[in-house]
Amino acid sequence: MNVLLLYLLLLKSTITAFSGPSSLPVMRDELVVKRHVLTDAQLTTAVVVGRTTPGPNGLYVVCVGYYVGGLPGALAGWLAVATPALLVIPLLRFLGNHTSHPILRSVLDSVILGSIGLVMVTIVPLARSSATGIVPAAAAIGSCALLILTRIHTFWIVAGAAALTVVAFALGV
Amino acid sequence: MPTSRVARPTLRALASVFLRYGSFTFGGGSSTVIAVEREVVDQRQWIDRPTYRMVYGLARLTPGTSILATCTGVGLKLWGWRGAAVALVAASLPCALLAALVTIVYEALTANAWARAALHGATAAAVGIVGASCWHLVRPYLTRRSWARSVVLVAGSAMLSILGLPPVRVLLIASIVGVLWRRSESA
Repeated sequence: MNVLLLYLLLLKSTITAFSGPSSLPVMRDELVVKRHVLTDAQLTTAVVVGRTTPGPNGLYVVCVGYYVGGLPGALAGWLAVATPALLVIPLLRFLGNHTSHPILRSVLDSVILGSIGLVMVTIVPLARSSATGIVPAAAAIGSCALLILTRIHTFWIVAGAAALTVVAFALGV
Repeated sequence: MPTSRVARPTLRALASVFLRYGSFTFGGGSSTVIAVEREVVDQRQWIDRPTYRMVYGLARLTPGTSILATCTGVGLKLWGWRGAAVALVAASLPCALLAALVTIVYEALTANAWARAALHGATAAAVGIVGASCWHLVRPYLTRRSWARSVVLVAGSAMLSILGLPPVRVLLIASIVGVLWRRSESA
């Protein structure tokens, strides 16, 4: 895939995301569903890398870029992550102290909530790709529960899930 | 445009701080924002707290990663365009390189059966991570008076997506709903 096109597609996903994993649905739609240049397995691996390495969680886009286009693709991913941050410049100039404008807050809240709905739908194909089988499914559900109910860091939860599947592999389960 | 509470830092000092916090902080945006505030407001006094909080508030309104937008905004306040560029690159490029490197290592590991088994568990955990992220994002909305509206928005967006509407259009509809809902509340 052309690196410029990849950058634009990744930018489309990051510039429509306002929180957490909300760039996932657009990214999956463009790269997995429409263009078949990425698989669900690669997408979930990218999420793992993004959550277990230091830095912002949104850096998983860099990993997606690498999967699609190698090192030039990773560069495109970095640029796609960094570009939306520049929008704070005109906001600082024109909005200044009006961050609490009611309509602005309502729009942002609605977009975030809409993103959550989209991400919930995206989880299904990702789960079909990466959490099939009793042990992986238990790892997925257990990870979700631990993240919601405890303060255990994501890194250790991922490590625990990896250890679980290694043990299962060793036991031939 | 550039403002500073005490002495303005050098570009090198600016880059150093944001490189450290961008590249060596785990846990995502929230923890990094707090750490950066402690450093640039409390310890180094580069900007005052109201300015930092204002920058962060606007960063939350920008799409993408709010911590990168925060760093860019602080850099802009201190050094104009140059500060914004230096802060953004320092906070994002090193950790991006690390993420790319780790991905390469992950791919190399898949040749080994044991490593593949471990990666299988890790990617299964990623599904759980995404699910938990949804919960953490939606939870604050469920404790507000407008919780029913929040549930409708989430369910409605999910339904539109299942029906085949592209994600960007779903978000556009959500933003329009946000405007209309706010207007009806103030009418």
